[in-house]
Amino acid sequence: MSTSTQGIPFRTNAAEALRNATLRGAMRNATDTFTIKRADALSGVPVEEWREQASAMRLHVLDNLSDYVDRFEKNAARAGARVHRAKDSQEARERIGSILKDHGIGSVVKSKSMVSEEIHLNNYLETQGVRVVETDLGEYIIQIAGEGPSHIIVPAIHKDRRQVGKLFAEKLGCEYSDDPAVLTRIAKKILREEFLSAKAGISGANFAVADSGSIVLFTNEGNGRMCTTLPPLHIAVLSIEKMIPSLADLPKFIRLLPRSATGQILTSYMSVITGTRKPGESTGAEEMHIVLVDNGRSEIVNGEYREMLKCIRCGACLNACPVYRMVGGHAYGTTYPGPMGIVLTTLLDGMEKANPLLEATTLCGACEDVCPVKVPLPQLLRRLRERRVEEGLTPKLEQTGMAGFGKIVKSPFLFHLGQTAAHFLWPVATKIGPKVALDRLPRPVGKIFGRRVS
Amino acid sequence: MRVQLFATCLVDTFFPETGEATVRLLRHFGVEVSYPQGQTCCGKPADSGGYRHESRKAAEHFISIFEGNDDPIVIPSGSCVSMVKNHYPDLFKDDSRMREKAEAIAGRAYELSQFLVNVLKIHEANLSGKGRITYHASCQLTRELGVREEPLLLLQSLKGAELVPLPYADRCCGFGGIFMAKLPEVSMALADEKLDTVLSTGADTVTGCDHGCLMNIADAIRRRGSAVQVKHIAVVLAEGLR
Amino acid sequence: MTRDEIIDLFIGNAVKVAAEPLRVNNNEELNRVLGPILAESESIFCPSVTDKEKAVQLPPEKHTQDYASASVCVEEVSAAIAETGSLVCSSQGGKPVQAGLLPAHHVAIVSSENIYENLDDFFSTLGNSPPTNITLETGPSRTADIELTLTIGVHGPGRLTVIVY
Repeated sequence: MSTSTQGIPFRTNAAEALRNATLRGAMRNATDTFTIKRADALSGVPVEEWREQASAMRLHVLDNLSDYVDRFEKNAARAGARVHRAKDSQEARERIGSILKDHGIGSVVKSKSMVSEEIHLNNYLETQGVRVVETDLGEYIIQIAGEGPSHIIVPAIHKDRRQVGKLFAEKLGCEYSDDPAVLTRIAKKILREEFLSAKAGISGANFAVADSGSIVLFTNEGNGRMCTTLPPLHIAVLSIEKMIPSLADLPKFIRLLPRSATGQILTSYMSVITGTRKPGESTGAEEMHIVLVDNGRSEIVNGEYREMLKCIRCGACLNACPVYRMVGGHAYGTTYPGPMGIVLTTLLDGMEKANPLLEATTLCGACEDVCPVKVPLPQLLRRLRERRVEEGLTPKLEQTGMAGFGKIVKSPFLFHLGQTAAHFLWPVATKIGPKVALDRLPRPVGKIFGRRVS
Repeated sequence: MRVQLFATCLVDTFFPETGEATVRLLRHFGVEVSYPQGQTCCGKPADSGGYRHESRKAAEHFISIFEGNDDPIVIPSGSCVSMVKNHYPDLFKDDSRMREKAEAIAGRAYELSQFLVNVLKIHEANLSGKGRITYHASCQLTRELGVREEPLLLLQSLKGAELVPLPYADRCCGFGGIFMAKLPEVSMALADEKLDTVLSTGADTVTGCDHGCLMNIADAIRRRGSAVQVKHIAVVLAEGLR
Repeated sequence: MTRDEIIDLFIGNAVKVAAEPLRVNNNEELNRVLGPILAESESIFCPSVTDKEKAVQLPPEKHTQDYASASVCVEEVSAAIAETGSLVCSSQGGKPVQAGLLPAHHVAIVSSENIYENLDDFFSTLGNSPPTNITLETGPSRTADIELTLTIGVHGPGRLTVIVY
């Protein structure tokens, strides 16, 4: 039985991923570890109260999103940054490209940004002759490997140490080692040179603060700080729903984001960057640009799926999802995988392309349990499935089967006739029907004149 | 006390012994059980695929079958009860008359263990059992209905049986309704992992409240060649009546 | 909370994040704890702007103004937060925040009266025109990107010592 013939081939990707023992081991280890760490970090704190407050604050921002974006732009400019609004991926890429071109920048150091993956920034910049150096270790690894991230927090988690060791030996020409400490040191040495010589740095932002015009960056390695304070030019790219009202609101999210993402109380570094270097200061970019990416969000925020925009990109739902745990992020074929990825991708990329992803959930609800801002993921997934049916994008055979179901469910006679027919036709059905479904069911018990036949 | 039984389409189609066990159990605890003959399916298969129109048809039929009186409706399935309680009202959000009926029906629906423990207040079931049992906590039962302790309470009171905790008991088994047919490879891999946790307990029987889950686990057992038995909680408890 | 309770909370949480907290009460004690650290360092950066920074006895031959090449940075940071065991490094008053980022060892002095009990207490003081860069530093730099195996000391310092003075 085939799934949709158009759109992302999730079933094929998933089946391939399941045959990859290294990947399965890596995903099992990662998701189990994160799940335990998150639970530890959130025990002994009033987590339900925190979640409710964070959710309410995010909803408040979404209710007033365009005001907050305006306010942010005004205050960021007041602090010395130049703010650019990009309607879509292309506009965002081109704006960043032209800023770099205006300054004659040939290479740039970059700290991890999921939205930069969404807009396919790196590939574009390379075509414009700009060398992009990813500096987050996980991003650096996948950049060398020519792959996309498979997890929104730990992009290279699908690789084991031997694979990383081989990759470094092949592409960097160093001696093979599978010791993570050694491999980290190799990357550190190379990237240090890049940091110290870079003329421009690109970063994302975990949050943007409207009242002060600040951006907030959480990292553990220190690469985010390097990219944003060493080069004279800093470009920050972020999507518009990342707004929070003021700095006084930040603690709510500081308490939830690291705990939900990695089980840490706080990441090693959290920087609040407000505009350019002021007179009398010795830290800060001389020139700062902030690119605000819309890419459909100002429409989504007015629609029935708006709660998806509460997401603070912690990755907890990925770690909780039984499907993601089995197959990893690449099977989704998207920028964002896992439960939040299915919803966000469908909203951003459209139902036609993304609809097979709607099959990648058992609607078990584990994601909703762990979301720090209470995004109602199962509800959103259900509603998107309904829309998928309304738009006629489910397989024809399935539609026919369901229509048949709809007809017989109201007629006990037909219903029991169906059961009895299934009983007698079972040997034939299991031969010609979808074996991987029918073979896993017991033989139906039929009824003739109320008497059971089996 | 009188109740109406909704057997569920899985019980009616594949596991009639669960329906029989449910009736025996309820009668043992002094409950009169009626079985409205025209019942078919709660609509969950259509609902899980997003087929609202067909789900609504099933819901209309369910309501027509059970609205005759005010008796509690007892159902040996967490996912069916969640369908009725949590999703029926929404199916009729544009039809206030049907919505009212749906809400009334929703208020009367109980999963079996929920009914035994919370309504009949049976905390010490005083049944006999044997062997080592472990319990799989199905997703809709736990996360949509909040039923977590009740099945364990009942199983713990089986004299002679040992109840061993299942690691990651509430992790999804991979059935997911339509999911098992749309993504069978992932579904089977999840069932395999669930079976791994079952085997780690040394239990000879795995039980649960939902036949969808139990079917998927039974398939994993069959493919593995394992000797672990799969029994619905109604059957496990009813066996203790002898 | 009393001042002492806040200090204790800070120190307890700093230990948990592998910052190495020490407590001193005067310049003599400060230099006693710093002595061994400075002795084993090749080159030291110290802004020598605040009183406490000026009190640090720096071996002159090791002293450098180039924090990018220094092996240790000794400086006073503006505040700390007990709830999380974090330091607050601010660009206020001309401080180069990156000076504590580049060397392999960051030695941060924080005045005990500048330790806030919790995040809310600190962030509510900032208003809407904060300094260009405020960085919360919570332990040494780290990564777990390879197989979730923890490695300490990536781009930022691999060693953080906090001196509560």
